[in-house]
Amino acid sequence: MQQSLIRNFCIIAHIDHGKSTLADRILQATQAIDEREMRDQVLDSMDLERERGITIKAQAVRVGYRAGDDRDYQLNLIDTPGHVDFSYEVSRSLAACEGALLVVDASQGIEAQTLANTYMALESDLEIIPVLNKIDLPAADPDLHARAIADLIGEDPESVLRVSAKTGAGVDEVLEAVVERVPPPSGDPAAPLRALIFDSVYDQYRGVVAFARVVDGEIRRRSRLRAMQSGLTLPAEEIGYLAPEMSPTEHLSAGETGYVVTTLKSLGELRVGDTLTLDGNPAEAALPGYREVRPMVFCGLFPLDADDYPALRDALERLSLNDASLVWEPETSQALGFGFRCGFLGLLHMDIVRERLEREYDLDLLATTPNVEYTVTDTSGSVLAVRSPVELPDPNYIEVIEEPYVRATVLVPHEGVGAVMGLCQERRGSFVTMEAIEQRQQVVYDLPLAEIVLDFHDQLKSRTRGYASLDYEPVGNRASPLVKLDILLAGDAVDALSMIVHRDTAYDRGRVLVERLQKTIPRQMFEVPIQAAIGGRVVARETVKAKRKDVLAKCYGGDISRKRKLLERQKEGKKRMKQVGAVEVPQEAFLSVLEIGDKAS
Amino acid sequence: MSPVRHLYAHLPFCSSRCGYCAFVVEVGNLESRDAYLEALLAELALEGGVLGPLDTVYLGGGTPTLMLPRRLGRLLDALSPWLRPDAEITVEANPETVDARQLEALVEAGVTRISLGVQSLQPHLLAALDRAATPDQARAAVACARAAGFSGVSLDLLFGVPGQTPDDLRRDLDEVVRLAPDHVSWYELELKPGSALAQQGVAAPDEDAAADAYRAVVHGLEDEGYRWYETANFARPGHRCRHSLAYWGAADYLGLGVGAVSTVGGRRWRNAPGVGAYADALGEGRAPRRSHERLDADTARRERWMLGLRLDRPLQLAWAGPPDRPEALPRLRELGLLEGPVTDEVRLSREGRFVQNAVLGELMEYA
Repeated sequence: MQQSLIRNFCIIAHIDHGKSTLADRILQATQAIDEREMRDQVLDSMDLERERGITIKAQAVRVGYRAGDDRDYQLNLIDTPGHVDFSYEVSRSLAACEGALLVVDASQGIEAQTLANTYMALESDLEIIPVLNKIDLPAADPDLHARAIADLIGEDPESVLRVSAKTGAGVDEVLEAVVERVPPPSGDPAAPLRALIFDSVYDQYRGVVAFARVVDGEIRRRSRLRAMQSGLTLPAEEIGYLAPEMSPTEHLSAGETGYVVTTLKSLGELRVGDTLTLDGNPAEAALPGYREVRPMVFCGLFPLDADDYPALRDALERLSLNDASLVWEPETSQALGFGFRCGFLGLLHMDIVRERLEREYDLDLLATTPNVEYTVTDTSGSVLAVRSPVELPDPNYIEVIEEPYVRATVLVPHEGVGAVMGLCQERRGSFVTMEAIEQRQQVVYDLPLAEIVLDFHDQLKSRTRGYASLDYEPVGNRASPLVKLDILLAGDAVDALSMIVHRDTAYDRGRVLVERLQKTIPRQMFEVPIQAAIGGRVVARETVKAKRKDVLAKCYGGDISRKRKLLERQKEGKKRMKQVGAVEVPQEAFLSVLEIGDKAS
Repeated sequence: MSPVRHLYAHLPFCSSRCGYCAFVVEVGNLESRDAYLEALLAELALEGGVLGPLDTVYLGGGTPTLMLPRRLGRLLDALSPWLRPDAEITVEANPETVDARQLEALVEAGVTRISLGVQSLQPHLLAALDRAATPDQARAAVACARAAGFSGVSLDLLFGVPGQTPDDLRRDLDEVVRLAPDHVSWYELELKPGSALAQQGVAAPDEDAAADAYRAVVHGLEDEGYRWYETANFARPGHRCRHSLAYWGAADYLGLGVGAVSTVGGRRWRNAPGVGAYADALGEGRAPRRSHERLDADTARRERWMLGLRLDRPLQLAWAGPPDRPEALPRLRELGLLEGPVTDEVRLSREGRFVQNAVLGELMEYA
């Protein structure tokens, strides 16, 4: 394909602003799929993606489009995830495009997430086509939001397209704008091959499938390829593009986007961000890659039934095949037995992984309180990474503890500024800056990531009645006076309930936590004291009373079977409990820490 | 297979359904009583082959006394070939349905024991339960039963009734003691799905209130010389209910009538509810519609544990079989829920009896 007839673009949008619906419409308008095959969110292939209305993986779909100039164009739409946990995937997609549709809900306006991704797109020199979606909504205020968007990207409000992805209105104008405004790719078709891998998936039958944007040269079927950073050579077993189903082709040339089926067995072998070239005629320099993704949030995952440990390992291995950002290593807990300490990009990523493990692999899991990675310098001067509270050395040997900080950007209507600032202050935030963007304030704070991991987002939403949006990026580690808060059940510390907290909030956290545990843990055959301790000193105590009555009221000939079945059902309930020492603890108890809410502040 | 020595007959007729009731009952439809009696006799003829000399017979309901003494008499006549001379024959009755003449007729027909469904002697609690009898009718029924000469008079009572205060319970206890029955069954009200109370969304009392009430009942009756011989049953010496003891001893029994359950030689079946279909089937010489269950060795063993731990006497391991998790035994003893050495038998402590379900859950796998 002639490069002048190719357009590579992506869609940037906040969750719920209609990215997937607009993508669906584009596929329909270009007849990439017919009405019969149409289903919602065609590009979101995982059940979870569709259910939660989020996109997790980037994907590239090629459609043909005959434009107003009567010429046939090849449009490559590269889907992007819309959640902060997956912002690194956005940056990958951007590097494969020349343009971006910036989709904004005409009733909601710009959100923090959109802002962050727009800046990213501007930095990558992408042509941005602003689109106001949902103009059919009664609450839509397109004029207002068009001005705000125009301000943001430095263009005329007139250039902002107005569409309703729901009704299809304005979709053709979007396609025309893509053709007119997005520059065609400008690589050198005659140069040695350079193709950027922007995503990869693992297919159990075909091995690793890499999604790549050819920048220079071309890939032919059965070419011998080399990944320039790793030095690995691999065959291009099959090449092709998504339309949206996999469509094999003979070659992918400069400017085009497509997939390469390799015979590789694990995603780890072929890094996203690497450059593919021809083994026999390599390019001189690789394309700029991506920074490596590091997990930000860690938690322990334990099977409720110890026999499921091998099954959990298998499931994690399988998930890792398609999720290079998921890291895990075996962990042994005194309380919970054998499990894995897993690292995630963020809380949503953690939720998704857990849900997939439970749903797709039929595992009953217990997740411990998530925490961040601390950097501890001990008195001997050695530095260690602490990913679990149990790894924290004795306070006497700690010189300094550092915790990761993020710069958080919150966009909120003016009347919500007080609430946002209050929340940020409570969460140990330090004010950075604030500025007005159209009818809203952009509030920027530096915050410990640990505070965001807790329940920051929920609190932010509830205190601003859902009007605030959040984005954040890491800004390095800072030293903090942190202590370990231990929880004791029936006198024994439960490692899985320990947490690392700021010295000043430790007492309140402990008190709230024991109160919550007292309500969560059912009565046992004996009294169970629940204590919170900091450095061995008990700071709060509650008691779960012993059972005083547990009998089947009556049992005669007519109801023996029924009563027996009642006991069986009670047994089922018990299976959802974890035996910690002598105490049966329900799963929810291990997440009580997450729901600390206002009370601890 | 050893012959069955215990027989239950279900007499489902009631004049109305009480708020807490989820039993198989037939409200009204009294004109079907004769047909139902014939069907019962037909089922007896059909299944009588398994019977040996009957040690106990229990006529439960419903409201068996709505069958009137003459029909109950016919049923007992039909059973007479199997009845041992010292058989215990119990009839359940609601206080408002009996008078002196009727009770005498029941004694005359061979009934030895009467179980009166009193439930409470407080008017507001009787109202909460939709019970038709007044406290005075209950008192009169006890007096008449005594006069009629039953060798055992038992009262059924409830705690955990919505609106029942500790004082209400105290008054019921005092009054029961004054009425001096030989035997008392005192149950916690179960809010069964399907009952009117459950549908009204009546909440169960909290765990501590219910535990206090239960313990008050146990202490109150023990203080007056009643033996707490089963989870919910109390008896003066010599007055334990032999029929119920057969259930708790996992003995076989034959159940006749709608909704009745039989357990014979490892098979259990339950007759379907519905008087009309039951009578029709037996009228044509067929067995009524039934659901069946086979008790394998493990199920039977777990049932023996479930039933045996209800009693005041130790559970004999030679009879019940081993627990699924013997390793839990030492800890249960440490917790004070079991007493004595666990070699041949398992003995619940007094505290253990109050939480026997939890003990059972530790020892047995119900899966």
